[in-house]
Amino acid sequence: MSSSNRLPAPMGLLIDRDQALSFQFDGQSFSALGGDSIASALIANGRWLMSRSFKYHRPRGPLTLAGQDANTLVQLPSEPNVLADVTSVEAGMQVSAQNVSGSLDNDRDAYLGKFSKFMPVGFYYRSFYKPKGMWKVWEPIIRKKAGLGVLDLKFQPEYYDKQFLFVDLAVVGAGPAGLQAALTAANAGAKVLLVEEQSILGGSLTYARFDAEGVRADNLRQELIAAVEGHCNIQTLKRATCNAWFTDNYLPVIQGKRLYKVRAKQCLVASGSFDQPVIFRNNDLPGVMLTSAAQRLMKLYAVKPGKRAVVLTGNDDGYLAALDLHEQGVEVAALVDMRAQPADPQLLTLLQTCGITCHLSTTVFEALHEKGMRHVSGVDLRKITGQGQVASDSLTLGCDLLCMSGGYMPVYQLLCQAGGKLAYDDQLAEFTLSGLPEILRVSGSANGCHALDNVLADATNCALDIIAALGLNSDLGRAKVKPEAQVNFPWPIFAHPKGKDFVDFDEDLQVRDIINATKIGYRDVQLVKRFSTVGMGPSQGRHSALPTARLVAQSTQRNISETGVTTARPPFVAEKLAHVAGRGFDPYRQTPMHGRHLAAGAKMMPAGVWQRPAFYGNDTDREQCMQAEALNVHNKVGLIDVSTLGGLDVRGPDAAEFLNRIYTFAFLKQPVGRSRYALMTNEHGVVIDDGVCARFADNHFYVTATTSGVDRIYQQMLKWNAQWRLNVDVTNVTAALAAVNLAGPLSRKVLQKLCTDVDLSPEGFPYLGVRTGTVAGIPARLMRVGFVGELGFEIHVPARYGEYLWDVLMEAGEVEGIRPFGVETQRLLRLEKGHVIISQDTDGMTTPGEIDMTWAISRTKPFFVGKRSVEILEQQPQKRKLVGFTLEKGSRQPLEGHLVLDGSDISGNVSSCEYSETLGQIIGLAYAGANQGIPGSHLPIRVEGGEMVHATVVELPFFDPANQRQEL
Amino acid sequence: MNSLTAEDFKERSPLYAKHKGACLAPLAETVAVERFSETDEHSQLARCALVDLTNLARVGFRGTDSAEFLLSKGYHLPETPNHATLQDDGSMVARLSQTEYLLLGSLRDAGTRVSDLEAHWQLSEQANYLLPRQDSHAWLLLTGEHCAAVMAKLCGVDLRDGNFTQGAVAQTSAARINVIVINTHTTALPSFHILCDRASVSYFWDAVLDAMLEFGGKPAGIQALLD
Repeated sequence: MSSSNRLPAPMGLLIDRDQALSFQFDGQSFSALGGDSIASALIANGRWLMSRSFKYHRPRGPLTLAGQDANTLVQLPSEPNVLADVTSVEAGMQVSAQNVSGSLDNDRDAYLGKFSKFMPVGFYYRSFYKPKGMWKVWEPIIRKKAGLGVLDLKFQPEYYDKQFLFVDLAVVGAGPAGLQAALTAANAGAKVLLVEEQSILGGSLTYARFDAEGVRADNLRQELIAAVEGHCNIQTLKRATCNAWFTDNYLPVIQGKRLYKVRAKQCLVASGSFDQPVIFRNNDLPGVMLTSAAQRLMKLYAVKPGKRAVVLTGNDDGYLAALDLHEQGVEVAALVDMRAQPADPQLLTLLQTCGITCHLSTTVFEALHEKGMRHVSGVDLRKITGQGQVASDSLTLGCDLLCMSGGYMPVYQLLCQAGGKLAYDDQLAEFTLSGLPEILRVSGSANGCHALDNVLADATNCALDIIAALGLNSDLGRAKVKPEAQVNFPWPIFAHPKGKDFVDFDEDLQVRDIINATKIGYRDVQLVKRFSTVGMGPSQGRHSALPTARLVAQSTQRNISETGVTTARPPFVAEKLAHVAGRGFDPYRQTPMHGRHLAAGAKMMPAGVWQRPAFYGNDTDREQCMQAEALNVHNKVGLIDVSTLGGLDVRGPDAAEFLNRIYTFAFLKQPVGRSRYALMTNEHGVVIDDGVCARFADNHFYVTATTSGVDRIYQQMLKWNAQWRLNVDVTNVTAALAAVNLAGPLSRKVLQKLCTDVDLSPEGFPYLGVRTGTVAGIPARLMRVGFVGELGFEIHVPARYGEYLWDVLMEAGEVEGIRPFGVETQRLLRLEKGHVIISQDTDGMTTPGEIDMTWAISRTKPFFVGKRSVEILEQQPQKRKLVGFTLEKGSRQPLEGHLVLDGSDISGNVSSCEYSETLGQIIGLAYAGANQGIPGSHLPIRVEGGEMVHATVVELPFFDPANQRQEL
Repeated sequence: MNSLTAEDFKERSPLYAKHKGACLAPLAETVAVERFSETDEHSQLARCALVDLTNLARVGFRGTDSAEFLLSKGYHLPETPNHATLQDDGSMVARLSQTEYLLLGSLRDAGTRVSDLEAHWQLSEQANYLLPRQDSHAWLLLTGEHCAAVMAKLCGVDLRDGNFTQGAVAQTSAARINVIVINTHTTALPSFHILCDRASVSYFWDAVLDAMLEFGGKPAGIQALLD
């Protein structure tokens, strides 16, 4: 077909005749016009063969021209499985066929269809597993054959995002019903979102014919669109797909690279209905298409679909389509009506006036083709003698286009996802829907209204219900829906003795495949689906669900309502993982000194959502940097950013009582100006957090918590306080306070340069003391701590001053040789002191006794969270214990998580382990059996590669057991 | 452009490193971005802009005596939670719960009324606890006709005009962090005050700017707000 096959205006609503393009398909160059889909452009060039079927590699061309079938799946350079019938062609586009063996025109696997008898449905379930071991032979062959398209593994991720949309009413589908309903609701003041899958509003008004004159659809379309597009209350999303319905009208709508998360108070599904194929032999040949597809080709793309057509129909719409074809210069060789007569007898007369022969009570029994099956070449017509039965007399007609329409199936997917129930109306031979939630409605042909007046009336009535539900008003009265002609032919299935009468085009399933599935015993339609794979292809049963229901019902002697259709789960169309992932939100937190750490060359590490310096220096020099930083803390002075440490202000008359109940220690009598270690257990007696409680006033405690635990601890505190109703206020001030630990024997000397309003002497500010004062003029909370085992001052200041504090301390300590140290170094230093880190050296089962923390439990107070459980646990024989161990320098160093063995049994695991330059040994903490904790004994640890090392159990701490250094 | 730098001051916004090249202006004890370019930023504000107000004073109070305390200091309080009331001096009081209030300083006095209140507060027997909102929360101002559309890319709450009315407060999540959004639309300029975790603001600033991009959104300074 050449460009002369382009029809004159007004055909071609979507194309721009002034924009000529060229693109490649399978290495050949083709011309196109702006607005063409890949498929319409190919057909305009006479290229119908676009793909090969999944199983038998049969030649396939467009079926629906609406993106509802798998026949037009093609490959783009970076994207497989692109629907050529709805994807706009672009200049220079490189398109190729997929799932072909050899070439699209000469597919080597096309012979497979000849063996279809030997590949009945489900044969692979039974065939490839015997004799034993055969699966290994078959698997690579099957895997090579399976799958559609090729992924581009070099593809660079693109920008996709998400957006919420809040509306009063979401209307899915902008056909006559959707447009009318949207307009009616918007006129009453509702904010309406109109979602349309195609690039043009109007739905069936853009391609279908609703009257003999062929003028009504276009007039109405223009009228409705003008009103909708100019309406301030209506937002339209074209080329957008509502891909699911979730509770409370939560609707994911995909448009381009954005996923809209629509929240609608009311939702109206006006999604229309799918034109249904007729089932006969070779109904899948290129050139055999749905009647609506031929109309789309002409009206949307101005492409003449053929020279000589046969129209097979089960309703009056086929007559109107025949008129369309006739008017556009296609010779209509025959109108074949499966019914005894049309509902509107005038149509028969009209066609005959046009010279079109009408065959009533007749069907196409077989589509004919020439060698290679690349296009339909004729039809074998037979009189219908009964349900699915035909006479033996045959009439053969030549044609290059066969249009078929067996009726309509409502686009029920979203509605069923919302709980809608499908029931089959035997009289109308179509499914109807009921049982929708109150906030979801259906109208138009999806609601069984097919006559245009009825569609508009039904939409108006739906809109009025919605207006009332939204609490708005309208002056409109309810419209009357009149009885209308039946549109579905009850049994458009004509099985052929030679088969190839396809029920499911995606999966190459024939009538006998469905029947055989029921005969094997799969009576339930859900089981038929799983056994035969009907409806599991890309078109998800859009054309196979109805015939399958009919065939299963007949084969199992049930009615179609009882049989039903398979579940329609989201998504409605294939969606990309990129849409689901969208723009990633991965929050992170930074301390006020973050920039200074980067400037100092810190190797950053995550600590929960925080970014913290692990150490300062090159990634490859971890050990060297850590040891140097640790030695500097031991010998001079170091500075670490501890702003991430959890901070909670507990204030009020009951603050002490509150903490007394929350933590295991006693706090009622804690003096102002002192801090106390605080261990927290949960109701099960398991250690869940620790910190320090600093008392700054009778009614004010400042409590620290672990970096990763503070949010949880804050929630726990609020929960408990809601129960206890104490007069106390708990505030999470973690981000509000920047904090550093100035540690090392010279730390006091450095701090004295900046802090003059606090007596920093050992007597004036002893170990575990807390003070308030100023540092470099900044209001500060000062705490004498010993976490890293050296003289140390924690300085907590408002976050706004954090970076300035860091700057002045680094400057003040320059003479003393100050250097920053990171989290890894801090972990080494605390390990030398034998201090545990909750959640690193504890797990979800750790009790205070296992980590030698019973000293942190008050035995005299009546209650703390977990007290009863701790007491019960203490009555039980202890099974494990956290012990310190050492290994000689140069030994294989255990890693965290390596197993501790007791004979052949696992008795524990390593929780912390580092080499200490200060001690000249590898030191670590590990859980071991209760009998393995005796100092001096050997602890077998299985390290990398299964090698065993035998560590020596030692008393803790490893360093400065008299605590002389931290208490200077 | 003047020669002020954020590092000349003790108080620093966590975003100052992202304001490279901006012209700074003194703001009480610290600085704020006056403008990002020589071009007029009024039209940017009207279209879509993001202003860093983190260095402007703010403070919170919580407790059964907080309302009485604030009334005694001459503040007008919202009658119900999740509402904000503009004060005569341009500052604002947002009521976050039955007993919690958030005070946002005014650019007109460089926030001194609010910062004075914070500085003079003392813990006492009164159930009126100061909440250090200036240090716990960063403060951004999103302006322009696309405010609600920008937030719809970050937040699951309907902040469209009509649903999220003038003076309304939403305590919600945006870009997966907790935020307080206050609709102030006090003038013809649509604007949302957004308070978020101070430690997360570097992340959040970038996330909001990214969401603003399709609307031509850019950062702006305080000068155009003051004019």
